[in-house]
Amino acid sequence: MSAHSAPGTAMDSLSAALKCNIIPNQEYLLQGSVLDQYVEVLLHRLRGLCDNVDSGPESFHDHELCFTLRAANTGTPMVLPLRVRRALDVSDAPFQLRYVGQQELGDKSRPTVVRSSIDMACSSTIIDFLTELGCRLDFEYIARGYMFRKGRMKITVSKIFKMGGSKPGEGVEAISQSYLVELSVLAPSGQDAIGEDMRIFAEQLRPLVQLEKIDYKRLGNMAM
Amino acid sequence: MSYNSSVNISVEAPIENQIQEITYDGTEIYQPPLTLSESLAKYAQKIDFSKTTEVDIKKEEAEEAKSDADNKDALQSSLWPWDSARNKLRSALQEVCVLADVLAIAKDKRYLILDSVQQEPLETKPMVQIYARKKALQGAANVLLTGAEKLKTSQNEAARNRATLDFHIELLRLRQNWRLKKVSNTIIGDLSYRTAGSKYLQTGTFEVTKAEDEEKPGSPPTSPLPAGSAPSKPASALRVSIPSELQGVAYIEVLCQKDQEDLCSANINLLGSGPPPSNPDMHWQQKLEAAQNVLFCKELFNQLAKEAVQLQAPVPHMVVGNQIMATVLPGIQLIIGLCHSTTGDKKQPNPPPAKSEHDHVLEHSLHQLLREVHHRNTHHPFPHPATGPLGPSKKRMMAGPMAADRYELLEMTKSETLLEQIVKQAQHFIMRMRTEYVLDTIAKEVKDPLISSHWNTLNSPTQSCVKINISTHGYDALCRTPLVIHVGEKSLKCICRDGKVMNMSYEPQELRDLIFCHINQHQILAVQALAKTMGWQALGNSNHLGTGSVEPLGNASSCLLSSPTGDRIIAVRCEPQAGTQVSVAHTPRTDFFPSRLVTEKKWEHLGGQFRDVRLEKMEGRNFLHKMELLMASLTSNS
Repeated sequence: MSAHSAPGTAMDSLSAALKCNIIPNQEYLLQGSVLDQYVEVLLHRLRGLCDNVDSGPESFHDHELCFTLRAANTGTPMVLPLRVRRALDVSDAPFQLRYVGQQELGDKSRPTVVRSSIDMACSSTIIDFLTELGCRLDFEYIARGYMFRKGRMKITVSKIFKMGGSKPGEGVEAISQSYLVELSVLAPSGQDAIGEDMRIFAEQLRPLVQLEKIDYKRLGNMAM
Repeated sequence: MSYNSSVNISVEAPIENQIQEITYDGTEIYQPPLTLSESLAKYAQKIDFSKTTEVDIKKEEAEEAKSDADNKDALQSSLWPWDSARNKLRSALQEVCVLADVLAIAKDKRYLILDSVQQEPLETKPMVQIYARKKALQGAANVLLTGAEKLKTSQNEAARNRATLDFHIELLRLRQNWRLKKVSNTIIGDLSYRTAGSKYLQTGTFEVTKAEDEEKPGSPPTSPLPAGSAPSKPASALRVSIPSELQGVAYIEVLCQKDQEDLCSANINLLGSGPPPSNPDMHWQQKLEAAQNVLFCKELFNQLAKEAVQLQAPVPHMVVGNQIMATVLPGIQLIIGLCHSTTGDKKQPNPPPAKSEHDHVLEHSLHQLLREVHHRNTHHPFPHPATGPLGPSKKRMMAGPMAADRYELLEMTKSETLLEQIVKQAQHFIMRMRTEYVLDTIAKEVKDPLISSHWNTLNSPTQSCVKINISTHGYDALCRTPLVIHVGEKSLKCICRDGKVMNMSYEPQELRDLIFCHINQHQILAVQALAKTMGWQALGNSNHLGTGSVEPLGNASSCLLSSPTGDRIIAVRCEPQAGTQVSVAHTPRTDFFPSRLVTEKKWEHLGGQFRDVRLEKMEGRNFLHKMELLMASLTSNS
């Protein structure tokens, strides 16, 4: 009997959580980049600014696969992007499946990009599952770098590598001569005050890194 | 630019011509103003042509002016004002012409060659030069010396002024160790542990002000940290005012005591024996540290009291005033008290000495536990992969993929409270003490097998380990009985010689019985080992003998040994209460008298009657030594 009632209560509690708006499903994001030769300076500064760096910065080495699920039967092409990420340096860490929604740039008064983000930990069979589901692998890359935290803010400084060999970790090739710097906070929707904190923090990294709202569409146009 | 709106302003030279004459009636007759040409001539006369080089251009200008003037007034007298100018110009022209000619000739290089003139070296006298230089250096040195002197005096003066420490320097030092911010016109500091992860609600703000009254001059400047400060407190230009609830000295008192009828001792929250009460002219660093400690103790006590009320213990915890009482083991209580003395509180200089000693180790553990909580509050693990959310623990992250059930998830949310942890530590502390006591008393009581215990130096607050060796003096190579006892929180675990594991409760009597049992077993085993070396044969042994008088605790153990020829038999019986009994039997008996039952001597080989040996009358240092002598004497050559 309890087994029957359990899913019901789980659904109830989930919908209740959604209603109360306590699920952190909005990502506030600022991005920038720094050249390789100045990354040490940036790390040094971050060590000074962030919390608990007495044990040194936390490094990470992740492999990310980006899948898309296309709806074929409908007339309008609908693309659902899904990202699977796994840690290469921590063997027992779970895989991370992530959906990142369309980003809202907003007007000038909004200090950060806001996009919906849902992520969950899953086991290694997620890749097979997605392939079976009809997802196609768009691209994959390797990100290696350091992460910091300051309160609720997470700062990652990472280098992006192209996948060379068949196995991750071999034959990688750096995509550019610079590091990607991201400042992000995952929060329930409507907590726009955090954006102001992020702007202030980004201000402190100012001459080294320009953390800004990056508009990908404009970047695409520039490339053309 | 609208001209109609602007006002026309005419500018003209003041009509202040020189007065030529004043008539008797007072009218002033002015000289007529100079005409334009006249004034030009006047200025031209002022030109000094001897200042050549720089005024070359001016000369040319003057020349032009002159030609103009010539054109205008050709018919001037010889004494016309341009005369001197003209003469000078003429001579200059002559010189220029001559120079031009010379240059023209020299350019040809036929008649004239320009050659650099060898300069006559100046005759210098070295001594004169040295004197000159010496003098110059002397002058320079004097300038420097006077400058240095001036700087020194000014610095001394500044230092003397700073002897009553500069407020700003003090503030800088304060800023290096404490959090400060400026709110309108006041400087507010924060001494709470918020930034270190504390979630205690009470604020720890303090205000920094300038010490307004004049301090005694000439006191030495304070060291930044008060650790080495002299007993005579140097005056500080800075004053910190701390809220009254954080003033004074506080500490957490931890007592472990046996059951008492009076459940609450009244004087416990009045402090007198602690550190000396703070005086108003204490250095700010000490003052702030004391206040921070007060805040910390309050947070700790608050947390413990909250937990004591919430926890469902078999014997409920009690919170009375500034005291928490928790039952650790039956009959033993842990009392945690918050002692806080405010500055002027000196009502009881010497409170009656507490019945049991304040436990510094547990107090330290309490501090450590709260600091661990603080640390955990700020040190969240980083997610891997990096896009994961900040916050959930690794275990929690794995819960989804590993399909954790409701029970496991609930287990994850549970964490031990501070009070539970400190109660466990106190339990372990008591258990360790009891074990120590039991082992020491047994070692004192029992001399024959020696009992030595080694406590492991590596232990945790809730677990320690002791290794016990039972051996006989002089025979320790022969037989040794090792035991290991793990002392836990509420139980003991003993790992015996044969690998058996015995679990015991917190009652010390159980351990005592176990040790005694092992002493007996040791004696029996040692005798058998000794017999082997002496060529005797062990016929049998039993650790738990079923025969004989019933022991109140445990069983007797025994063994039977026979001599190499088999004509003598020794029986040994060890009892926890009665001690050791040794009996000897001879087969066959040395003298045989046929009786109606036993008609032939051969039946005597079946074994005869045992006779007790009075061990206490025997020679020998200890039991094994006596047994060795006994066996030696009973071994026959035949």
